[in-house]
Amino acid sequence: MTAMNRREALKAGGALVGAAVFASTGVLAACGRGEHAREDETRPASPGVLSREDQALMEEIADTLLPDTPSSPGAKAAGAGAAIQLLLTDCYEPAAQQRVVRGLGGFRETCRARKGAAFASLPRPEREQLLRDVDGEARKAPADTHWFPLAREVAERAYWSSQTGMTKALRYVQTPGHFTGCMPLAKGQPAWG
Amino acid sequence: MQAPEYDAIVIGSGISGGWAAKELCEKGLKTLVLERGRSVTHIKDYPTANLAPWELPHRVAMPRKLANENPLISKAAGYGEDTAHFFVKDADHPYVQEKPFDWIRGYQVGGKSLIWGRTCQRWSKYEFTAPERQGYGMSWPIGYDDVAPWYSHVEQFVGVCGNADHLEAMPDGEFLPPFDFNCAERHLHDSLEAHYHDRHVVQGRWAHLTKPNPIHLQQGRGTCQARNLCMRGCPYGGYFASNSSTLPWAAKTGNLTIRPDSVVHSIVYDDATGRAAGVRVIDAHTHAVTEYRARVVFVNASALNTNLILLNSTSPRFPHGLGNDNGILGRYVCHHNYRTGASGRLEGMFEDQYFYGRNPSECILVNFRNVGKQTMDFVGGYTTFTGGYRERGIPTDDHVGGAYKDAQSKPGPWGLYMYMQGETIPKYANHVRLHDTNKDQWGIPLLVTSVGYDDNDERMIRDWRTQAEEMLTVAGCTNVASHDNHQAPGLDIHEMGGCRMGRDPKTSMLNEWNQLHACKNVFVTDGACMTSTGNQSPSILYMALTARAVDRAVEEMKRRNL
Repeated sequence: MTAMNRREALKAGGALVGAAVFASTGVLAACGRGEHAREDETRPASPGVLSREDQALMEEIADTLLPDTPSSPGAKAAGAGAAIQLLLTDCYEPAAQQRVVRGLGGFRETCRARKGAAFASLPRPEREQLLRDVDGEARKAPADTHWFPLAREVAERAYWSSQTGMTKALRYVQTPGHFTGCMPLAKGQPAWG
Repeated sequence: MQAPEYDAIVIGSGISGGWAAKELCEKGLKTLVLERGRSVTHIKDYPTANLAPWELPHRVAMPRKLANENPLISKAAGYGEDTAHFFVKDADHPYVQEKPFDWIRGYQVGGKSLIWGRTCQRWSKYEFTAPERQGYGMSWPIGYDDVAPWYSHVEQFVGVCGNADHLEAMPDGEFLPPFDFNCAERHLHDSLEAHYHDRHVVQGRWAHLTKPNPIHLQQGRGTCQARNLCMRGCPYGGYFASNSSTLPWAAKTGNLTIRPDSVVHSIVYDDATGRAAGVRVIDAHTHAVTEYRARVVFVNASALNTNLILLNSTSPRFPHGLGNDNGILGRYVCHHNYRTGASGRLEGMFEDQYFYGRNPSECILVNFRNVGKQTMDFVGGYTTFTGGYRERGIPTDDHVGGAYKDAQSKPGPWGLYMYMQGETIPKYANHVRLHDTNKDQWGIPLLVTSVGYDDNDERMIRDWRTQAEEMLTVAGCTNVASHDNHQAPGLDIHEMGGCRMGRDPKTSMLNEWNQLHACKNVFVTDGACMTSTGNQSPSILYMALTARAVDRAVEEMKRRNL
């Protein structure tokens, strides 16, 4: 019901609605890509917990974890930034949100200190190494203390639940029509979304 | 005497109320169905039914606001932003938990039939007699043979898929073709058959139209599309709900009136006739009070609300609730024990095998404890639901980058899960009652729940966990683990009893036809009537008992006994 209302509202209000939300929340950094415009319309009910810069950084992290490959588009192409903002803002507790925000701040400093540049401007291999390092650090930290597992969880949720993730990386069939219990897995066949 | 406005009133439009309406209307009775919730029309009022995950506001994730505002109802199986409109909001419908009890409710036309589990096993003949024979309760006034033809009657109309497995602990029904086993489930079946003599995994017996018969097509229902989005309401009518089946069927007779937004306050007793005269209703919005009159009343308000209505139906003749001469109304409330589950991974097995579609059913591991005789250190039996699944993602050492993403998009290892549906003992101490002072927004006393587990439940859980871990190991699983989630009673959504059937009016509320012993034109055929819980899912039994009771009611009306 809510989804329908949201889409109806967007249709009715057109650009004006989008502009108003953009102005008031600073969300929409990822908007405007024609192909994924509809997915990018996802916005939280309340002002986003991520600043525009943090949302952009989260999208870069998501796209480094889950990049474009020959088999499917990556997180950025899936409009993950807006979905990360939406899910983190509406579906996570304030303590978790703050852990991610603080973690992003620290991570930004780490990038500058180690590489002398912003994460987004680094070549992919260096971005990947930075994430492997922070991932390894998080795995050694006591449970539920480090920011990165949360950031990863939100980033992966945003990607794998997107239309791109569900239909291009995975295969989603809304109405299968029937159930077949056991059949050969074709070579390279993706998982069902 | 004023002529009754209706021949029959049915309180509630859920799974049993819908059946009462269908049977009464088909037999020519002018029938009024009272539903406390809003109207929900098949297809038209299923707003999320056709949305893809990415089209939902939070892509099926639970919004914090929804969970924080509904800490209780949001625990229910299947509750989410795609289905929340078919569950109550916590704040609207308070009750008092003397002991922790999660009372899960769906107030709308169709009730919880929109969001039920859809499992339809028959009881075995043992379950009707085991409580008395094995010393933990009272026998039912009826046995398997009394119910069997009515099981057939309702199964044929509902449409139940399943395989005829010829098992004593779970008799066969009138089945449509079953859903396939997947290869992990087939493997579990074969492994247990080879290792045990009494462990039978069978295909789910679920209220789904795998291959509709003419009777289902006549209802306007079609083949289940294996979407497994059932709880949003099915636009295909692929599973059974009052909204897609019994209620429109009843409406076609021209004998049905449904009144949504009608909160039943009480059943009105007429001292002069010694019968119920009708039902007192409060409009959910205007709070206007109306009394409807009828010759018979069917109470199908859902187990605990049926208790509440009867307890609130006081009169000089029945100061403690309608029919409550013995003081046991609201007593012997029981439920199913759903606290424990187990899982394991089938490492390296069936990696070249997959499936197509989403199976909306699960497999059933038929009860093998205390079947026909007492053999364990606990009483009662348990049914186990089980299934095989395939994780998403091939495990990798590296968790960053293109190779990781591509591995995550492939099917991962197979696994098996199991969970228990255990019988609980009906006990006098486990009860519901009306609160002395606190009332809801319609001025009706709040219900107090005082229902807890006992040592028998703990012993059953211990045995189940041992057996489940052993069986998963026998099937070749690694990472085998079981757990006890310690969930409160009620979250099973199988609350039963409080107005139990029995032979003796001193120890029971209802006779063998679901009539109140002390007020014969009132029939209770929802979960409140249960004398014991058995170990099978109860809904199909409520439906069968309802059809049987309507048949009796109409015969008695023809004989002018009612």
